[in-house]
Amino acid sequence: MKNGFQGFLLRRLLVSIPLVVAVLFVTFMLVRIGGQDPVALLAGPTASAAEHEAIRAELGLDRPLLIQFGIYLGGVIQGNLGTSWLSSGEVLDEIASRVFITLELLLWGVAIGAIIAIPVGLRAAARRGSLFDQTVRAISLTGFSVPTYWLGLIAILIFFYFLDLAPAPMGRISAAVARPEAITGSYLIDGLLAAQWESARSAFTHLILPVCTIAVIACAPIMKQARAIGAEVIESEFIRYARASGLGERRVRRMVLRNSLVPILTFVGTEIIGLLGTSSLIELIFSWGGIGQWGLQAILNGDFAAVQGYVLFAALLSVIVFLIIDIAVWLLEPRGRGTA
Amino acid sequence: MRFQSLIPSWVRHALIGAACVSATLGAVAPASANTMVIAATRTPGGFDGDALKPNTQNVVVQTYEGLTKYGYKKDPTTGRLEVDASDIQPHLAESWTVSQDGKTWTFKLRQGVKSPFGNELTSADVVWGWEKSINQKRTGAFIARVSSVSKVEPVDRYTVRFMLEQPSKIFLAALTLYTPSIYDSTEVKKHASAEDPWALKWIDRNTAGFGAYHLQSLKAGEEAIFVVNPNYFGPKPYYERVVYREVPNAGTRFTLLRTGQVQWTEELTLKQIVELKKDKRVKVESDVGTGHASARINPTIKPFDNPKLRQAMAYATDYQAINKAVFEGLGTQARSIVPPIIPGTDTEAWTFATDFNKAKSLLGEAGYPNGIDITLEYSGIFWFEEPLAIQLKDSMAKAGIRVALRKITDADMRSRTAPNRRDLGFFTFMDNPIVLDPVYALFLNAHSQGASNRNNYRNTDFDKIVDAARVEQDPVLRERLVRQAQRIHTGDSSWIMTMYPGVHEAMAPCITGYVWQPDYHERWRELSCKR
Repeated sequence: MKNGFQGFLLRRLLVSIPLVVAVLFVTFMLVRIGGQDPVALLAGPTASAAEHEAIRAELGLDRPLLIQFGIYLGGVIQGNLGTSWLSSGEVLDEIASRVFITLELLLWGVAIGAIIAIPVGLRAAARRGSLFDQTVRAISLTGFSVPTYWLGLIAILIFFYFLDLAPAPMGRISAAVARPEAITGSYLIDGLLAAQWESARSAFTHLILPVCTIAVIACAPIMKQARAIGAEVIESEFIRYARASGLGERRVRRMVLRNSLVPILTFVGTEIIGLLGTSSLIELIFSWGGIGQWGLQAILNGDFAAVQGYVLFAALLSVIVFLIIDIAVWLLEPRGRGTA
Repeated sequence: MRFQSLIPSWVRHALIGAACVSATLGAVAPASANTMVIAATRTPGGFDGDALKPNTQNVVVQTYEGLTKYGYKKDPTTGRLEVDASDIQPHLAESWTVSQDGKTWTFKLRQGVKSPFGNELTSADVVWGWEKSINQKRTGAFIARVSSVSKVEPVDRYTVRFMLEQPSKIFLAALTLYTPSIYDSTEVKKHASAEDPWALKWIDRNTAGFGAYHLQSLKAGEEAIFVVNPNYFGPKPYYERVVYREVPNAGTRFTLLRTGQVQWTEELTLKQIVELKKDKRVKVESDVGTGHASARINPTIKPFDNPKLRQAMAYATDYQAINKAVFEGLGTQARSIVPPIIPGTDTEAWTFATDFNKAKSLLGEAGYPNGIDITLEYSGIFWFEEPLAIQLKDSMAKAGIRVALRKITDADMRSRTAPNRRDLGFFTFMDNPIVLDPVYALFLNAHSQGASNRNNYRNTDFDKIVDAARVEQDPVLRERLVRQAQRIHTGDSSWIMTMYPGVHEAMAPCITGYVWQPDYHERWRELSCKR
């Protein structure tokens, strides 16, 4: 145990470094050989051939790819992710200013989705074949089949356009409300911290529809997985043994929950990563302005440095989420500590 | 269809219950009377007119104004105001004189024009802006080049002189443009440094012009807020504040306009426009514009070097079907490379009304009696490209021209039609000549040195005529040359001239004062809301 936790953490971090470098290398090469060329876009429709070449040289795109990558990697190590050609802003600043905007949406959505889906999934596992189970399976299947984009648009149509319940899908806060001073980047939290109740309320109402959309999307796979994991645990020998030994149903359920929690938690973690891409679309239709919307625009416009920054963010988010899951599992599950 | 009929009653009751909860949460407060909220496709990437980024042009036209401006005239049929390309009026300049040889232009600046920073417009500001553009070698430098400006110098505090390499009829029209911009150079210079002598970094994130508006704040990805220049020399604009809000999804923009959440919206699809034209909660104003949805043929690439084949392709195009299927019937048939709004447009040489038999016979004469296989490349830069490509394939097949469609990336389309490549054989594209002058349009799109001659059209006779027109001072002779050049170009059939999809601006019904501009961006200072 002496070097247990620290060693475990160190090993995890060391494994992550080559992973991140590999992600950077693949992304770097893919954006450059993927047919994207921002020069013509930046030069505008009236530029001459010489102006095209001048911009190419200015962006360093006339150099060999490996040298370009070396320069980029050197910058990344020093915390310089380059400059976005579309906004002229430092990529690191652009990411930093948008991280919490997206995380706020994503974490609320996944958390609400998980809070609903885990007990429902486990209950369905305990009552396999029942009407409840069938209903859960049907809902889960429907959730899988619904396109995110469509769901967001339908939510806007019903709750904003027809019923006028939700605020206009044009960002995170009403245009008529003062923005709270940036502390965390979340208008809700910043509004609460600064006691700007009107801002906090506006931010909260703007969160409801996109968060619910993500929660619905997140619900289906978590529910399905929770059901499958729960069913596996219920069928395991130690639960059968517990039942045979005459343990009460409540204690058995607690055992099922405890033994299901680790794989379910791992799965919820992967869902956060998986939904990062999905949230780009949600951000787009709700004009959210987070990192997903920014990344999507960067991809469409061939803004290389921004695309790389976006992928690096996604990779680091994956590493951090899995690290948190590993730590949680390490704490929850004593059996794995020796092999961690 | 009414909403009630779409949703079962129990859902309705549940939703009404939720409404009570929501009422306590509050709905969006409407924008105040003198604030205009625009649903924009994105926040501007920058504010330097010489380094255009997405949506830069949309806003710099509001902050930087020209020495001259176009006059307006009333359309006799619709009664609406439109740009009069033949009437160029003073704006930041009060008056001007031109030397006998047409090469020296002297402008008297309007006195008392001030920027939001309180500095007065002087000749030094004009000179500084032009020097910046020429030095930067981007958009403004191109404008300087095509209008033959070689030098700009101050004469006194309120007088500035432009020296031209050769007389230019484009010059006065070029001065209507937002670039080379006229900056408040006193303010801008405060932000210059040894590494950045033109303060490009500051200019990219701020505005300092003599126009009606200036940038108050920018939150990238969310909104840019503009406020009126308190020292503006012209009539006080109705909208004191403009919120340029990023709404990247067209469906959302459409919904926001219909519900009155925004007063103006950018870039809707034609389908949405057709729907909005029927909606009393929205006003749509349409103009022909200068953007021509064309399919271009590169005559330097085989088999397109055969003029008979190019003509056969033009005859084998079903223009009516294209207008109906692609442009919702809102398009205007294009018959020249010079848009109809520009004086001097000549449609006489366009004889390519759909005729599949003629196309077949021309194909036979071209040496392809059994038909031919060609490829049409298109991208997603312009929304119409894919449907237009599909219609062309369908229509040309009727004459034995078998078109294979190939979608390429937007970046690929831009780079492969740029001056240093131009290696696409047959492709879709659209250019908008920003200067309403026929010689500019001809030079830009079809001269061998033209920056937007994307299909590499080469005709020495055409080049000679356009070069002569560029320096011709006699308006009658110039117009004759312009017509001659158009006839050569149209006859060579290197463009399948399909439609002008038109410019369709959707706005709140109370908005008045909108006039279409050659740069396709409304002028906020001209808009007002009459309830």
